[in-house]
Amino acid sequence: MDFNTLIDDRPADGLFRVHRAIFDDAEVFEAELARVFGGGWVFLGLADQAAGPHDFFTTRIGRVPVLVSRDGDGSLAAFVNSCPHKGSMLAQTACGNARLHVCPYHSWTFDSAGRNKAVKWKNAGGYSPAFAQTGHDLASLPRFGEYRGFLFGSLSADVPTLEDHLGEARKLLDLVAGQSEQGMELVPGMVTFTFDANWKLQLENCSDAYHFTSAHPSYLRVLERRREDPTTVTARSAWDSNRNWAEDAQGVQGGSFSMAHGHVLNWGVMGVSDAMPLFESADALATRVGTGARDWMFNMRNLTIFPNLQIAENASSQLRVIQPISAGRTEMRTWCIAPKGESAEARRQRIRQYEDFFNPSGMATPDDTVSYENCQRGYASRVDPWLQGYNRGATESRAGGNAFGDTIGLVPERSVAGGSQLGDETLFHGYYREWQRRMAGAAA
Amino acid sequence: MTAPHVAELTERDAERLLFREARLLDNGDWDAWLALYTEDSTFWMPAWRNEAETTGDPDRELSLIYYAGRRGIEERVWRARSGLSVASTPRPRVVHAVTNVLLEGEAGGEWAVSACFTVHLYDPRSGGVHVNFGRYDYRLRHGNGNGDGGNGGWLIAAKTITLLNDRIPTVVDFYSV
Repeated sequence: MDFNTLIDDRPADGLFRVHRAIFDDAEVFEAELARVFGGGWVFLGLADQAAGPHDFFTTRIGRVPVLVSRDGDGSLAAFVNSCPHKGSMLAQTACGNARLHVCPYHSWTFDSAGRNKAVKWKNAGGYSPAFAQTGHDLASLPRFGEYRGFLFGSLSADVPTLEDHLGEARKLLDLVAGQSEQGMELVPGMVTFTFDANWKLQLENCSDAYHFTSAHPSYLRVLERRREDPTTVTARSAWDSNRNWAEDAQGVQGGSFSMAHGHVLNWGVMGVSDAMPLFESADALATRVGTGARDWMFNMRNLTIFPNLQIAENASSQLRVIQPISAGRTEMRTWCIAPKGESAEARRQRIRQYEDFFNPSGMATPDDTVSYENCQRGYASRVDPWLQGYNRGATESRAGGNAFGDTIGLVPERSVAGGSQLGDETLFHGYYREWQRRMAGAAA
Repeated sequence: MTAPHVAELTERDAERLLFREARLLDNGDWDAWLALYTEDSTFWMPAWRNEAETTGDPDRELSLIYYAGRRGIEERVWRARSGLSVASTPRPRVVHAVTNVLLEGEAGGEWAVSACFTVHLYDPRSGGVHVNFGRYDYRLRHGNGNGDGGNGGWLIAAKTITLLNDRIPTVVDFYSV
């Protein structure tokens, strides 16, 4: 299959179409695992998930199990979580602390820096001199890097530097990492859910301003009911005090930035509001990072670092890792990400707002994921294989940045700004241009 | 002065209340279900901190659902009925099986009761079948004439749902645990 033919990208005609096969074709999916996930930088986790000496956490790149470990000297490294002896997965848990990782199958042993410390019964094993000369350490990921506590790895060595890969998106990660001088942490309690739909539906939905009032009216009405009844015991919502999504909102209410390598931000204007847990730090942040960056920290921001990291700061603050399982099935690992050192009251508020909106047991996310599954059913059709969800905002998209991004010195490839009813879809182009590039085998 | 009388909960009382709650959820009789809860009741489904432990402090750790006050589950019922949530329409058919009901003691006029649950779920939209399973921990309080009278006067002051299989297929809601 020529994957290039699945994206109909005609900027001169103002048309962008995506073929349904990219969401449900098994050959496309296998190529994505090899080239998108196996051929470029992929988010692994936060440095804080392995904060102390010998701490570790595990994850996957596509189907490949990965172990991220901090050694006794404090250095982080990432390995394939597979014993070089027979291939058994080594670390068994999502996180932990281990000076030594002992393979449960034949007891080969590795230290927290991945070095082989023991091959059981080595001297009596009758090994050839040639075998003794081969290395027995854990296989390191060909590339591993950190940017302000965000850890990335690549199964391919043929990639640009992490700095180049992230590019301008680093300034958007700064808005997350900079909310506390001590950095960010994941609130204890990981929530994992699956949906029977393609992983790119999650990629798109995070960036989709158009769906909000259609998919989430039950959540929005619950907020209205809370406002009418001040005796409510439930949390105030940032959506409630900032109505950039409301169809009667006037003026520029938000927009999008598309950056090189498929990284995308959609954003909405939100004031510095006491409905947000960060409010207690508003003055200190203005002093430390300047009012421009501070105000951006309060804006609604949904950031995707292609292909698998999303940080959604809207109703609360969520870090999501997208794990594709098959063309029609995806696993999401999700956490509440929060500034270290915030007050107990701010933390409580953040957690309540998070549970309301983001959980698969909450009042908004299920209406997204069930919609993904409805889309996946619809993709079975090839009667008209071309999807039309990539064209809102075509006349509003500008090369380069705009006055909003200028306040943090952001120089994106394209930017869009508009009213609450714009619902830009051109930001998805960034995803699919990068997808096309990686699927063509480009170093990413 | 004599100590205030503490109503005595029997295992049979507890079973009746828990089985009735299960039946009301299965039937979608949510007004009657809400009436089993005290106005200040806590409804809590913790998340898991790691492979072995659930989160323990809802103000510092994440929960799947946490409401201090019946108002929270009233909102959920409103949402599920609103017709405004595609995740809630059409609703899965569910059957709750509640077993191993044990009295765990009394403190401050409230009785601790534990139980096990399985909720079999059939989603007519997908034809999919799933089982949620885990443990319930309740605190039951005698209503002394207030609230629902159909349970020997016993009401739910707190319910903790420990969902053991927490890799959640798409959605879990109050009616499916």
